[in-house]
Amino acid sequence: MSFLIDSFQSALMLIWALDRELLEIISVSLKVSSSSTLIASIIGIPLGLSIALNEFRGKRLLITILNTLLALPTVVIGLFVYSFITRKGIFGPLDLLYTQKAIIIGQIILIIPIITTFTISAVSRIDDRYRKTALTLGADTIQTSYIIIREARFGIVAAVIVAFGRVIAEVGISMMLGGNAKGFTRTMTTAMAMEYDKGEFVLSIALGIVLLFLSFLVNIFFNYFQGRTRA
Amino acid sequence: MLYEIKNLIKSYDGRDVLNIKSLSMEKGKVLGLLGPNGAGKTTFLEVLAFLLPPTSGELWYENRRVNFSSLRLINMRQKVVLVQQQPILFTTTVFNNVEFPLKIRKIKKQKRAIIVEELLSMVGMGGFRNAKAHTLSGGETQRIAIAQALACSPEVILLDEPTTSVDVENRITIERIIAEINRGKRISVIFTTHDMIQASRLADEVVFLFDGKVAESIHENIFSAYIETNEKGQKYCVLQGGLKFNIKTERSGPVRVSVNPGAITVSQGQNENRLKENVFRGKLIQLTDEHSRVRALVDIGIPLSVLIPKEVIDDLNLSLGEEVWLSCLSEGLEVF
Repeated sequence: MSFLIDSFQSALMLIWALDRELLEIISVSLKVSSSSTLIASIIGIPLGLSIALNEFRGKRLLITILNTLLALPTVVIGLFVYSFITRKGIFGPLDLLYTQKAIIIGQIILIIPIITTFTISAVSRIDDRYRKTALTLGADTIQTSYIIIREARFGIVAAVIVAFGRVIAEVGISMMLGGNAKGFTRTMTTAMAMEYDKGEFVLSIALGIVLLFLSFLVNIFFNYFQGRTRA
Repeated sequence: MLYEIKNLIKSYDGRDVLNIKSLSMEKGKVLGLLGPNGAGKTTFLEVLAFLLPPTSGELWYENRRVNFSSLRLINMRQKVVLVQQQPILFTTTVFNNVEFPLKIRKIKKQKRAIIVEELLSMVGMGGFRNAKAHTLSGGETQRIAIAQALACSPEVILLDEPTTSVDVENRITIERIIAEINRGKRISVIFTTHDMIQASRLADEVVFLFDGKVAESIHENIFSAYIETNEKGQKYCVLQGGLKFNIKTERSGPVRVSVNPGAITVSQGQNENRLKENVFRGKLIQLTDEHSRVRALVDIGIPLSVLIPKEVIDDLNLSLGEEVWLSCLSEGLEVF
């Protein structure tokens, strides 16, 4: 028990001293996770919106498939993307393996189903009168979509929060596609896993604290938007 | 012609909710669409607002056939605006709601502010500019929705049961606004209602919609009934509350009947009534002046609307709460 307390104290010292290695890891993690969340949102929100608003054959099947993809293990995505970007893969010449871009690609695949399905359910819950009102007032498709997204923003922001939480905390994709290269593709979770393997708990715990604190900050930030929605 | 309709059908799962053979509507008028719940009024308005494509048939607007799959449908929608039965406002301020149609029409900010203020005071909501739209009452929401619709500077405004879910004060205001936008702004108005009196008070012309179809004559006094045959082989229908009417029909079982209010005669004594068929005793509960005649509402167990010519009413000298006798020839009943 005293070992845990000692590690915890040392971790706080490390954070307090703004340790360079620690800051580097945090910055890689934030950069990768926010990039993948942003790109997945740009794809997933309009995708969810159009699935929710249009009636087409196979809609239910598509939603079922998306729901199934929510359970996709990171290791499977890692393997899948690996097979494309490895030297022998189709995208081998792009030299993506063991880069931040590779992690971002894997993470986008991981969270697109999350953002899309959350958006579908958020938009489906929105009263259809909003759509009709926007249309009859002369709005075009894009303006109408904007109105619907605004009305559904509580649910859509929740989708982005969950997605960000998923990528900042995942380790499989970052490890397999990033390779945990120091100062380059070492993220908070891969660093934690490595330090644990080494038996070095101090940095691991410090990173754990930082990760939770960052998630807390992100949630406060998004909560601000959600809170305003209810006005 | 503003609208022309030819064999227009809208069906859901094989069931026709709207089936209009032929109908034309003139420009600049106030048209009342009268009909009971489920008659297809809302569906009809959504088709007229170019929001809902018909299953088959033709809709013409200003002598041009409407193509519902055209990308230019948005240009048509900018001329016709629908205020839904229970309008919903966007989650923002009243001002932003009314400003929205002006914004998407790319009107300059300063001009937008002037127009919004003007419209808000027209609907009597001048003090509500910064109020959150979702804190308004039903009647206030309705008035803001009308202001929002007027911000579109439409050629036609379609109002779906504008006064059904509002109190008397708001109803009077909304009726005043309807008259004002038609006369003052020369906007054609089409509104739905199930209130016959409101329809005749506001509209230049009334179209009656029943079961998705335009009815030839204005049917009122519509009731669910059950047709039975007595031992003499004569048909009669039983209404709610056990009221029995003799009727001439081939149908049997559950039906809907309408009693033509013009075919009912009123007398003050049981024997004074010259007709001896379908005689009922009732209590006079309402009298309304309607130009050349008077509409009386008589409670005979069910409220029955009766149209009495002016010359007859003078002789009768009726007063409210009085006991009267009604009679109606079986020809005055129609089965659906």
